[in-house]
Amino acid sequence: MSMMQQTKARGRSSGLTRAFSSVGEFFAGTAEAFRKGDIWTRLSALVCGAGFMARGQIVKGILKTLVEALVIYLIPSFIVPNLSKFGTLGTVVAQKSFDPVTRKNVWNDYDNSFLILLFSVMSLVLIIVAVVLWMKNMRAAYQVQRTQERGKHVNSFRDDLDDLLGKRFHITLLSLPTLGVVLLIIIPLIVMILIAFTNYDHDHLPPNALFTWVGLKNFRNLFNMSPESSFGYSFAKVLSWTLVWAVMATFTCFILGILMAMFINNRNTMGKRFWRTCFMVTMAVPQFVSLLLVRNFFANQGIVNTLCKNIGLTDWLFNIGAIPTANYIPFLTNPAWARPMILLINIWVGIPYQMLIATGILMNIPADLTEAARIDGANAWQSFWHITMPYIMFVMGPSLVNSVVGNINNFNVIYLLSHDVYVTQNQLMANANASEVDLLITWLFGLTQDRQNYKMASVIGILVFVVCAIITLVAFNRMIKGDKEESFQ
Amino acid sequence: MTRAEHVNKPSRKKIVRLTIRHVVLALFAAFWLIPILWLVLNAFSVDKGPNLSHFFPQAFTLDHFRNILLPGGDSVNQFPRWFMNTLIVGCFNCLISSAFVLMVAYAMSCMRFKARKPMMNVAIILNLFPGFLSMIAVYFILKEFGLTNSLTGLVIVYSAGSGLGYLIAKGFFDTISKSLREAAWIEGANEFTVFWKIILPLAKPIIVYTVINAFLAPWMDFVMASLMLNSGVSAQKTVALGLFAMVDKVNRNNYFGEFCAGGVIVSIPISILFVIMQKFYVEGITGGSVKG
Repeated sequence: MSMMQQTKARGRSSGLTRAFSSVGEFFAGTAEAFRKGDIWTRLSALVCGAGFMARGQIVKGILKTLVEALVIYLIPSFIVPNLSKFGTLGTVVAQKSFDPVTRKNVWNDYDNSFLILLFSVMSLVLIIVAVVLWMKNMRAAYQVQRTQERGKHVNSFRDDLDDLLGKRFHITLLSLPTLGVVLLIIIPLIVMILIAFTNYDHDHLPPNALFTWVGLKNFRNLFNMSPESSFGYSFAKVLSWTLVWAVMATFTCFILGILMAMFINNRNTMGKRFWRTCFMVTMAVPQFVSLLLVRNFFANQGIVNTLCKNIGLTDWLFNIGAIPTANYIPFLTNPAWARPMILLINIWVGIPYQMLIATGILMNIPADLTEAARIDGANAWQSFWHITMPYIMFVMGPSLVNSVVGNINNFNVIYLLSHDVYVTQNQLMANANASEVDLLITWLFGLTQDRQNYKMASVIGILVFVVCAIITLVAFNRMIKGDKEESFQ
Repeated sequence: MTRAEHVNKPSRKKIVRLTIRHVVLALFAAFWLIPILWLVLNAFSVDKGPNLSHFFPQAFTLDHFRNILLPGGDSVNQFPRWFMNTLIVGCFNCLISSAFVLMVAYAMSCMRFKARKPMMNVAIILNLFPGFLSMIAVYFILKEFGLTNSLTGLVIVYSAGSGLGYLIAKGFFDTISKSLREAAWIEGANEFTVFWKIILPLAKPIIVYTVINAFLAPWMDFVMASLMLNSGVSAQKTVALGLFAMVDKVNRNNYFGEFCAGGVIVSIPISILFVIMQKFYVEGITGGSVKG
């Protein structure tokens, strides 16, 4: 075991060294191109296409120079004006003044903190990309020079295009998806992470007001565990419920789904298809419809409450002190009832899916395994624990980790069941716009939508990431031994 | 007792156990079906709001279906518009997302290049961030371009980052034998031909899964749509948003029947697609992972 860990640790450190050394190589390659390159290659440092045009790659050279011209044009018009305000996020407050000439109200030339932040991040990304491309370009120019010196064939533009469908096909495949991810995931994500260090909230809403950097103040606000701090108090509560929810929701659905699948697939069950269809019908209705329906089903003045009242269940529960009023059962409005109810409803929603997948896997278990176990005298329970479960875990293990993470971010179930229905009585939580049934993710959403408290929302978002990252790292380190992706090709 | 007798004359104990088994199953089935039954009953009920005193409605009518399909100038109910909006977004998302997912999956599974491992690691890290954290900033970006409260904006939101969801398709591509590709290379095919003529035709289950999944995303999604379409104008909404507004505090007592009818209507096409997709999904993951 310790051997294995050692090898693993070595493997990891060598991976890191490899990463560093390849970055180093990249710089060294650029420097070498500069040292050993001829006049045209060196000129490529200033005019990016020079080296290529000198070797007859006219179109490629022109395209590269055009890209360079665009970047140079953006420096005074976009990069400098925004980055120069990055430190303060703007100083000129928006003001309306009356213009006596046109007899209209006009706005001054004000700063919009959000746009400054966004454009600054875009500028930084642009600078990094430009530098990397420039270095790559130097190396490529040197490569072409060498190719020509050796008297080998220099690619024509046509050859380059063919390469994009051949050995450089990955560039063709990946450029659009990567552009999408960079523009609409990575840049916004960096902006949101930076907002955690600002005071962007209801009182500092652009364009009418400015916001600015506040350092770690928001994090201190969230981790402040003193009794009067509403955010610290709510955070502890919401985080613990989020974890309980994620684990419970995943494992109840997982275990019960498998048991249900086995129960239906048992050879003593008649009409397997019929029973399976009964559960599948639930899946036919989109999740948001069934959740909104169920929340009306269990409403305080809903149909279930009427029935419970009629059969005397409500009175009985009131008499034993399980509910605060004799009028209704607070299925989704009382913390002690709402949490288990939400878990139960989640089971109702989740089991059919789980059952479907489990059925598929159960059918794939090699029959000789269970048969052999039966001959060896194993009872149903033993064969379940020692054959069925390990097999299912083998297939489903990684997706189980994903579903814990998915449940931490399970917005729909909590939001659709509790929004407008569950109102917290806890004043400290209400101050922070949280409630007992909120997950981190619904709390985050509520903060942005109801309070426009973006600074705290993004702090919470960062913490959701930290929680998910820890869970994934721990689980995958334990579960996945080596990279098996190529062993079956 | 010999085995033959056992089969011919089931013991009393066995009959009891069989009965118990099926009664338990029936109870579970009822537990799962009752809310769905309530949905259908309310869709056909004469009551406008949820019926609070009776499970079965007093009388049946098709009014809710007629109202929801022919709403006229109703300010809350614009179901046909919502359906069209969602259909349009679904189709475009389907085209763009599926293309992105399959392209990334092929590059990551079948090709080897320097940036491959780093890119895959970045994708894993990005997937750990809650999806709509970045969408809050995307909202402001799209607002600058006047794309919020428009279907274009919604398509961008759903499809731009879809390349990150390549893992299941990659897992499937990983199981396709390398010798097929090698044979094609010997015949002189380039990567594009291999991708288009060899891998894609073999990857039918995962293509069907990806396509249907992308098509269904806007039908199922609530949170992105509510971020991007916040004008409150009913005609701009998607099905999920519109139906949600029908059962809020204000509208519930007048529109609950329409909500149920709408729910029943969208369930029909979605469930057909879902059944197809699930079949391929199970085939895809079990086929892929049993071997891997």
